[in-house]
Amino acid sequence: MLLGKSGSGKSTLLDTLVRGSPVILCRTQRVAYLSQQPALLPWLSVLDNVLLGFKLRGEKILTEHRERARQLLHDVELPYFEDQKVHQLSGGERSRVSIARALIEDADLVLLDEPFAALDRSTKIQMSMLCKQLLADKTVILVTHDPRDAQDWFNEAMVLTPSGLKGPFDLDHFKNDQTLIQALDGDL
Amino acid sequence: MSRTLAILAPVTLLIAVWWSVVIIFDIPHFILPAPDRVAGVLFDRLGLISAHATTTALEIICGLLLGSLLGFVVACLIGDSKRLQSITMPALVISQALPVFAIAPILMLWLGYGFASKLAMTTLIVFFPVTASTLSGFRALPSSWETTFQTLRPRRSRLFFLVRLPLAVPYALTGIRVAASVAPIGAIVGEWVGSSSGLGYLMLHANGRGQTDLMFAALVVLCAMALIIWSITNRISHRFDQKYRGTG
Repeated sequence: MLLGKSGSGKSTLLDTLVRGSPVILCRTQRVAYLSQQPALLPWLSVLDNVLLGFKLRGEKILTEHRERARQLLHDVELPYFEDQKVHQLSGGERSRVSIARALIEDADLVLLDEPFAALDRSTKIQMSMLCKQLLADKTVILVTHDPRDAQDWFNEAMVLTPSGLKGPFDLDHFKNDQTLIQALDGDL
Repeated sequence: MSRTLAILAPVTLLIAVWWSVVIIFDIPHFILPAPDRVAGVLFDRLGLISAHATTTALEIICGLLLGSLLGFVVACLIGDSKRLQSITMPALVISQALPVFAIAPILMLWLGYGFASKLAMTTLIVFFPVTASTLSGFRALPSSWETTFQTLRPRRSRLFFLVRLPLAVPYALTGIRVAASVAPIGAIVGEWVGSSSGLGYLMLHANGRGQTDLMFAALVVLCAMALIIWSITNRISHRFDQKYRGTG
């Protein structure tokens, strides 16, 4: 987990990783990125949004790809949503579709940029548990300003402070708000 | 019902104020004719007015279509390249900054007094709002979306046609809605500068003969026409909006 205050450069760091960090991308061919605003195209169905990567690469979408997409929608608990349009989905459901897309891309590295920030507390917990289960075999970097977003999922966090990257810190440290503030300010 | 009322109420109010002003201030009909007098002329000379209205309507509709098409295509050509945008933007701004009145005589000289010069004027006035609005659509892609699509390793052309272009469509439609409301300016100014038909011509002609009621009748028809064209454009664009913004 990567913690940091709003405006500390967490998203910029992830963006740099995606766009051209030779260190990361040489080792990892497939990167998935999920943000607070799920990048789902409103004119496509849920299933077509999951399969968007194939379309953008100009790859032929085979029956097995569709079957896999349906299975993944089932895994993210959206089994009957494949023909629905994005505007018919709630915030949590949109995040689930993004996860299904990340999974069909079979990415080795999954970057989560405050993906649950806009969700209510109970949906946040559900999403965190779902991600923990589905992304168990992936390398995941979750960027957030609130360690409670995924406390059951991660044990340690790095902190992006004005004076640089610090840590790792045990997440239990941050159960105390004062410690969290100190850490985010770079005073820990 | 409430929609019809929303349209009829301001029109009725406007007519009521107009009529009251004529009666209260006893304004002579050659300065400000009363609504009943204008309505009388409208019915008496319906053939003449509708012939001129057809010319103007054609100029507005064709100009709106051509200007929108050109504006959209130009925005698509430069939308994906910041460099091309910075090169072409000054020319686009100049095309808008020059008043149509200043360009009209030149267009008359080049294209003659017929349909082509009015079409060019209307196209010119429509072109900029559509281009500018579509370009803002290309710039509106959230950076987090760009990062997401980047991870899907897209082909540039596919990213353009499958994502960037459809996302720009609602913005283009906003531009077309704005353009539909200003398109009549191009046609009418063109007709004022030089023509032998159209509502602008009819108004000038009536003005020269002191037929103020005929001028007002032409103006009423022009207003109605502008409203109808704008409503149709609005309705069509609303349908596309629902699809590409995902609002309905």
